[in-house]
Amino acid sequence: MKRTRLTALVCLGLSASLALAGCGASSSSAPQRDDGKEMTVQVFDSLGNDAGIQKGWFGKVVHDKFNLKLNYISPNVNGGGDSLFDTRSAAGNLGDVIIVSNTKLAKLIRAHLVSDMTPYLKGMKNLQRFRSASKAVNQSIGQKSGVWAYPNNVAVDSPTKSSAAVDPDGAPYIRWDYYREIGYPPIHSMDDFINVLKAMQDRARKDTGKNDIYAISLFKDWDGTLMQNAAVLAQWFGYMEHDNILFQPNSSAYATPIDKNGIYQKMLRFLYQCNKAGIVDPESSTQNWDRLDQKVANGKVLMMYYSFCNWHQNTPENMKKGIGFEIAPLEPMKVYTAGFKPNGDTTTVIALGSKAKNKQRLVKFIDWLYSSYFTYMDNATVPDLAFKYNAKHEPYLTAFGERSLFNANGLMMPKSFGGGSAVSGGPHLNYPAVAYSSTDPETGESYNARIWKSQLNKPLDNLTKEWSQHMAGAKTTMEYLTKTHRSEVAPGASYAPPEAPSTLAVVQSQIKTEVIAHSWKAVMANSDAEYNKEINAMISETKGLGYDKVKAFDLKCISQWRAAMRQITKEYANKK
Amino acid sequence: MSQQKATDAPATDQAKAATVQPSLATAMAATSKPTESLESVKEYQEKRRKAEGKHHWNDEKRHGFHLFLLVSPLLLFSILFSYYPLFGWVYAFYDYQPPIPLSESKFVGWQWFTMLWSNPTQLRAIGQVLLNTFGISGLGIITSFFPVMFAIALNEIRSKWFRNLIQTLTTLPNFISWVLVYAIAFALFSSTGMVNSVLQNLGWIHKPIHFLDSGSHVWLKMWAWSTWKGLGWGAILYLASLTGIDPELYEAAQVDGANRWQQIIHITVPQLLPTYFVLLMLSVSNFLNNGMDQYFVFQNAFTQEHIQVLDLYVYNIGMGQNSLSLATAISMLKSVVSVILLWAVNTASKKIRGVSIV
Repeated sequence: MKRTRLTALVCLGLSASLALAGCGASSSSAPQRDDGKEMTVQVFDSLGNDAGIQKGWFGKVVHDKFNLKLNYISPNVNGGGDSLFDTRSAAGNLGDVIIVSNTKLAKLIRAHLVSDMTPYLKGMKNLQRFRSASKAVNQSIGQKSGVWAYPNNVAVDSPTKSSAAVDPDGAPYIRWDYYREIGYPPIHSMDDFINVLKAMQDRARKDTGKNDIYAISLFKDWDGTLMQNAAVLAQWFGYMEHDNILFQPNSSAYATPIDKNGIYQKMLRFLYQCNKAGIVDPESSTQNWDRLDQKVANGKVLMMYYSFCNWHQNTPENMKKGIGFEIAPLEPMKVYTAGFKPNGDTTTVIALGSKAKNKQRLVKFIDWLYSSYFTYMDNATVPDLAFKYNAKHEPYLTAFGERSLFNANGLMMPKSFGGGSAVSGGPHLNYPAVAYSSTDPETGESYNARIWKSQLNKPLDNLTKEWSQHMAGAKTTMEYLTKTHRSEVAPGASYAPPEAPSTLAVVQSQIKTEVIAHSWKAVMANSDAEYNKEINAMISETKGLGYDKVKAFDLKCISQWRAAMRQITKEYANKK
Repeated sequence: MSQQKATDAPATDQAKAATVQPSLATAMAATSKPTESLESVKEYQEKRRKAEGKHHWNDEKRHGFHLFLLVSPLLLFSILFSYYPLFGWVYAFYDYQPPIPLSESKFVGWQWFTMLWSNPTQLRAIGQVLLNTFGISGLGIITSFFPVMFAIALNEIRSKWFRNLIQTLTTLPNFISWVLVYAIAFALFSSTGMVNSVLQNLGWIHKPIHFLDSGSHVWLKMWAWSTWKGLGWGAILYLASLTGIDPELYEAAQVDGANRWQQIIHITVPQLLPTYFVLLMLSVSNFLNNGMDQYFVFQNAFTQEHIQVLDLYVYNIGMGQNSLSLATAISMLKSVVSVILLWAVNTASKKIRGVSIV
């Protein structure tokens, strides 16, 4: 009897393990012919902000051209960090088209989850053109041969030319209308800036009678290795980020989060002083990006450190009235922007899934993402519809283009594109294969319509005209920064840092949790004593966790990065 | 299922009859002729052995096997969900990074375990997490008599509709998920939430009070939320056992002149104590499992230090920081602590009550 029971138990155990083992079974696929059928492509899109089937006019374009339907799988939407990548990849199929970081790509290659694109590259004009970019990816993950992936933001422009054509991502943008109302006071220092912002806030509250207007509003969603809102302020002074170290690309300056005189702590102190002055939104510590975005749109925020939501206020009607965000004349600033990357940004790449069907067609699709046609389309300028060419073969915006670029709310697509909303039916891939502001070799002008000759020759709107009078006669933010030597361009090296050894990675992530938590507590502190307490706790705890090792590793990466920057500058100069 | 049983029944009955009849015959023979009996018994045993072939079935064994079949689905479940996952412990000894399969991952031995106590800061972090776990669970256990009091109070309400209303209103929150509870909490207590707006408009405060984003009194706040959510639900078991109390006890007490308060103290409470102790024991054995969804939703940079309980810590490390191997190692430690706790409670129970639980 005992034996029967035992055998039964063993059998049960075995059958259970077999049943579960079946889940991970994999099947190898030989190169196949295209079956020509309509196909739904699973796009694992780590940059995507939407999940599900691509609908609208862009869905129609892709369907007409490739007989494909795109189904986005976006970790950003699903949340939970890397768990979506972990579970899908461990189950043996991440997707047909895969957009991931280069360190993840290295793991996918080891697990045979991505395909070498070499056999499919014949006749792929755009991918052939950027072959060196795929080599840069290989270099970043230590692969000797094969074409495993293509990086984003490739460009034909000089690596020392700023990739921001009009507005840098991170710069002090203020509501110019209120700055005008308080009489354009000069801003010699960050302390001055606090006073100016305070005056603007008082003025705005008086004008509108609303007490929930704050000069500064923060949010926590994008906190990575540092409190993002403090790190972005460091960009005003020419610093870029690697892990949690902020460093200047063209000098030897750097600062860790625990350097008491470093830029990060200076920026924390600035935010703390702003909070003390009562100009920081008390909801900062709990709200998310969407809510902040809404507040900017409703005029509840007077200073934005990112340029991404300026368009809410800078609508054509508002700008005619002189209302909108413009960069502040902050004297000590030297705003960081990244240079164009001839070999692309290898930190995020696009690859072909090994389990995909009809791989040739998918590679054609990826090739198309690197075409001029898609680049225009991805940036609200659909060729032939939003712009046309004049007699000198210079592009100019049509009436449709003016709307889709500057005032797209409620704009509908024409029947030939299947109608529907121009914005919500547009590409939701969010993968900038070719750098937006880089040069289109066919026209010799940028893909970015805002800096076309035809566009810059148009008369300025009231807001820009008046701003320009106070800002050295510049027509765009970048022009002002370059003219006044307040621009710091990091040469566009395709450097992607190697992955830290796993034990170090654990310490790294523990440190980042501590740094972010104490940074927030310090910024929102009620007194100097509390602020100092948090800063000291941050220093002692990160040191206790073993920050020295992390710092040594990071500094090595930074010196490699700087070397890569010098290298690419030299290479490009020689090429010319 | 029942139909199948019915059709099977005749077959088994026949089989039973076949084995039972000869044994009866021999038994009768044995009583009548004692000298022949030994031989006939041997004969019978041989016959039976032949008849049954290789299977040494007898009634008892057959019955036992049937019972085993009945319990086997449960066994299967417990193997699948309690023992099979233990296989996952091997991940604690590897440097596992999906999607690289385990077979290709690096074997690192006790690396992740030694890392946990590699330096004082790490130890302090673990210590803080255990402290939070014990603190929040401890608060729950110390106040575990709240549902008893609530049930008794509810029972004393004479108006039936009012009692039902209260019971429904207090039970409902149990069915709201923690995510929604947080949505309510955010609407009420955020810096621009209802409470702060009302207080500010009344002019009682000038700066909003940080209810959700401050690190003070986190344990108490969490206890308050879970009590709000679970009080009515926790009282249900006691209400059930209240109805089971013999009314004669109350009648006898009333005859003796006991008032309502005395009836509660001397009859209701002692009658509820056995239920209370069983539930208390259960909650002690769940000491480490204080769940994570509540703390997950209330977690932010300000509360993190005091809100990270063991389960949340494991989640944060495994999912948030993507170190699955380290998270496995920590959750193994949790099992060890659980076994120690269980052993302690069991020994205590043996010494105090003379009955062991396991």
